[in-house]
Amino acid sequence: MTKIIDLRIKEKIYKSRKSQISILNDFNIEVNTGEKIAIVGESGVGKSSLLNILGLLDRNYDGEYTLFGSPTEHLLTSELAQWRNQRIGFVLQESALINSLTIEDNIKLPILYTGFEKGKSKQDEDFEMVTNAIEIKSILKKKPLECSGGEKARAVFARGIIMKPQIILADEPTASLDAENKERIVTLLFRMNKEFNTTIITVTHDLEIANRHDRVIHLERSK
Amino acid sequence: MKIFKFFISKIFLRKAILGIGMILLLFMANYITNTAARSILSTFQGYQETKYINQKGVYIANLDPNSHIDMDVINENGTQVVYDYLNNSFHYAFYTDGFIVSVPNTDDMKVSLGYMNEEYYELNQFELSQGTDLDFNYQLDEKIPVLIGKGLSKTYPIGSTIIIEESALGRPVTLKVQGVLKQNAYHSNYYALNSKTYYNFLILFPVNEGFINNANIDLQLNGLMDVIILETTQKEIADLREFIENNLGLKFNFFSQKENYEYFNEYYLHSLKIIAITAFVLIIIIACLSIWNALVSVRLMLKDFTINLLVGLSYSRLRKIFYSYFGILSFVNLIVIFAITACDRYGCWLRKDATFATYGLFCLIGMDWFALSVVALLDILIEIVIVESMLWRIKKVPISLGVLQ
Repeated sequence: MTKIIDLRIKEKIYKSRKSQISILNDFNIEVNTGEKIAIVGESGVGKSSLLNILGLLDRNYDGEYTLFGSPTEHLLTSELAQWRNQRIGFVLQESALINSLTIEDNIKLPILYTGFEKGKSKQDEDFEMVTNAIEIKSILKKKPLECSGGEKARAVFARGIIMKPQIILADEPTASLDAENKERIVTLLFRMNKEFNTTIITVTHDLEIANRHDRVIHLERSK
Repeated sequence: MKIFKFFISKIFLRKAILGIGMILLLFMANYITNTAARSILSTFQGYQETKYINQKGVYIANLDPNSHIDMDVINENGTQVVYDYLNNSFHYAFYTDGFIVSVPNTDDMKVSLGYMNEEYYELNQFELSQGTDLDFNYQLDEKIPVLIGKGLSKTYPIGSTIIIEESALGRPVTLKVQGVLKQNAYHSNYYALNSKTYYNFLILFPVNEGFINNANIDLQLNGLMDVIILETTQKEIADLREFIENNLGLKFNFFSQKENYEYFNEYYLHSLKIIAITAFVLIIIIACLSIWNALVSVRLMLKDFTINLLVGLSYSRLRKIFYSYFGILSFVNLIVIFAITACDRYGCWLRKDATFATYGLFCLIGMDWFALSVVALLDILIEIVIVESMLWRIKKVPISLGVLQ
């Protein structure tokens, strides 16, 4: 098993308008390729902040982060953007769609930033495969506001995996879904892991879902 | 390009505030800047033109506003006596225009005559595009040498003759084209320096003593209204004032160098300052509104930007997109301002308004291009401020999953 993530945080300061809070003190995490990891903890302990750091969205912390075997602190913002585009997939809540775009355009958004590196036909093939697998072909021409919560959640999932990323970072992907749609999303996540050996890191409040991962990391409030 | 097209069609233009709102604000800023720049430059040109009369020993005639012109009292003998007195005692620059004359031309414009004596001609130092300077030593029964505006040069080349019914002499005279004025030669109004008369369809008629002596009262009186007395003293001017009052019953003011300075500097400099300050304040207000508009747009589109940043957009690419978008908006506005100015200039040709008909690339003359350059410069400055403000606002809320929840 190859180590894909090696993150060592001494401290992360979270600044709000009125105060600043120290989170993720002396937090270290190592993740191997193909692992499924759940991150749980009460609100405010830094679960989403950890995901931001893992997803190269936040570099404002004291620590070291090696991703895919490379230290990330010297990467240019354009390189970070490229990694987010091609190697990391974000699966978020169903509200993370652009309402002025159709579901198809929302799903194809990462392809826009890739150009046709893989070739247009290959990309079309990937899009066909993903939309078929996730069963959202019927809503592709709809706008998010015309879709149900479950449909939107699947669209967000499709966008997160369209580039076949090596890591999927899922932030409360099932938080506002009913039991049936919750199960569909979790099944799809684990299918990605099984079929493509994708590393899954899920932030969740749902312990039942967390316990279905290989490892569960409990985050606690820093003292 | 594909990403830029996507942002234009799918993100920016879907938010009216960033599309229509920004276009309107930029248009207002451009229009005000263009108007102010043209007005300031035109006033400056007028100021430069009148510098030569703003010299020691120069006095400009101006009819006292309280003086009543009584044509029963004024007669040709009276005006002739005044001119005799002027000829014997002073150097004076004579100029009067606005006498329309029937001269067929290819553009079918109304042609006017501008009368000036040698002193006025030498003071102005008109630039010619063809031919030679005016010759003032002619006899009235000879062909009279004239200069013509560029607009007439197609119909009347150098050496050709023009026969006109000369209203000041009350008989036909034959004019010989001696030279062609440089295109867009102009004369500024001494009392409204930003106002100009263009000479493209004017015939500059040389005035000598013989001509004045034979001219009718209209020309003599009109010429007296703006006569410029050169190399004289306050005492001599006082005598002249008294002489005119005794013979014509008209009270004239003659502005001295000091009064000219006061008039030009206080009145026109003041007007220039008011124009510049008003334009500056309006542009600052519009720039602030544009920034506010842009920041509200960012707030409305924060989720859209965040999602794009999550899936592969970088800040540097976003900056390029913003600059390209605002660059296009500015360019569109610049084209509109250009079209308005060109239509305005071309309108003079359609209305056969010879006083304002000008020549230039796409109908625009130098001051128009200068104003458009100022507008373009301002647009670049506004664009930099807006784009950097937007990026500052976007970066202030770090891209994070939290923004989307």
